[in-house]
Amino acid sequence: MEVTARTADGKEIGKEERHYHPQATNCRDTKEKYGAQWKVANIRDTSIQPHQPKKETIEFDLPEGVRAADVTIDLFYEAVNPDNKYPIHKITKNVSLDK
Amino acid sequence: MKFLKLVLVLLVISVPLIVFAEKAKTIDELAKMYDSSNCKSCHAEIYAQWEKSHHARPLMGVKGGLMLTPLALKKGEKGATAFSEDDPKKMKISNFPCFKCHLPQAITSAEDSVAVELTEALLANDSAKIAKLQIGCIVCHNDKAIIHKRELGAPEKGVLYSTKAVASHPDRMFKTVKKSAIMTNSVYCGQCHGLGPNLEFDQPFQCANLYGSYLHNYVSGGGTKSCQDCHMKKGDHLIAPNFNDDKQTSALLADALSLDVEALGYEWLRKANTYTPKIVVNTKITSSAGHRIPDG
Repeated sequence: MEVTARTADGKEIGKEERHYHPQATNCRDTKEKYGAQWKVANIRDTSIQPHQPKKETIEFDLPEGVRAADVTIDLFYEAVNPDNKYPIHKITKNVSLDK
Repeated sequence: MKFLKLVLVLLVISVPLIVFAEKAKTIDELAKMYDSSNCKSCHAEIYAQWEKSHHARPLMGVKGGLMLTPLALKKGEKGATAFSEDDPKKMKISNFPCFKCHLPQAITSAEDSVAVELTEALLANDSAKIAKLQIGCIVCHNDKAIIHKRELGAPEKGVLYSTKAVASHPDRMFKTVKKSAIMTNSVYCGQCHGLGPNLEFDQPFQCANLYGSYLHNYVSGGGTKSCQDCHMKKGDHLIAPNFNDDKQTSALLADALSLDVEALGYEWLRKANTYTPKIVVNTKITSSAGHRIPDG
C-alpha cells in the first residue's frame, strides 16, 4: 500500500509505504529469500489475515505555507516482482486545514 | 475372425493398463499418461475453465515464467539451488521436490529420465515442451482424491472420483465415477496449498502456507467456508485467481479486501505557540478471504 500526499499542483510532499506479506529466510542466515526452493520458514508475517483488519495511521507534516493536500491511498498486489502490479483500490481524499 | 476381433478388443482395453503399469520415460509419455483431452468432449465448459487455470500450467509460473529453472542450473552457478546438480544428466525426480505439488504424477509415474529431459528443457527455455506437463483431470480426480488410504485404499485405476458417483461413465479408460470423501472439503486443496515448511525432505523448503493460514487464522476465528465455496463457485475449474488475467485478478482481490480511509487535517500544538500543520490518514483493510493475503 502506498500513501502519497501531494499539493494541489501535484508536488509530492510525503509518501509512505506498507508491505503486507510473509517473509521467510533459509534459517541459516538473516537474508529474506524469495522462491520456494530457498525459503525454509517464515520469520515475520505482515500479511492480511482473516478476521484481523489491518489498521494504519500515517502522518504527514505539511511544508510551510501549504494548507491543503490530496492524499492518495493505493492498495495493490504484487506477484513475482514489484513491477507486476494488480491494482485493488485507489482512494484520493482532499484534506484542508481551512474551514 | 471372431477370435481375432476378441483379441483386438482385449488389446485395446489393456493398452491403458499397460501404460499405467509402467513408468513414463519421457515428458511426452508422462503427458500422454495423464492426458485429459478426452474429458473435453463431454465437459467442454469445465475443460475451458481449467485450460486457463494455473493447474493447467503448474511449471510455468506467472505470465510465462519457468519457475523450476533455478533447480536446473548447474550446481555452483549463480542462481542454482541445493537441488541442482553439476550435470543435467544427473538430475532425478528427487531433485525436483516441487513435484510434490506442481507435478505429483512425476513422483508416482515417471522415471528419472523425465527429470533429465525436463532439466534440459528448462535450460533450453523450451516452454512448449514444459507446458505439456499439467495438473489435469486425472491428477485431481484420481491420484489426489483419496487421503484416507488406510481405510479407503488407494485410488483405483480406471476410476474417477468426484463430488457424486456416476455408475456408468462413458469413457474408454475411466468407466466409473465414485464419490470422493474429501473433494468438497478444504483438506483436499490443503494437500498442496500447504501448511508451511516441507520438512520431510533432506533439504527443507517452503512454498504455500495457505492451508495453514486457513486452519489457524480463519477456522480458529469461526470461519466455516471451504476453499471450494469461494474459489470453485458453481464448480468453476478456473479456481481463480488466474494471475495471467490482470483485470480478473484485480476484481477478485477488490472483492476480498475492502479499504476504508479517514483523513484529517489540523494544526498540532507541540508546544506553546508552535503549530505544526499536519495530515493524519487512517487506513483499515478488512479481508473476507479465508486465508492470509498474499499466499498460494
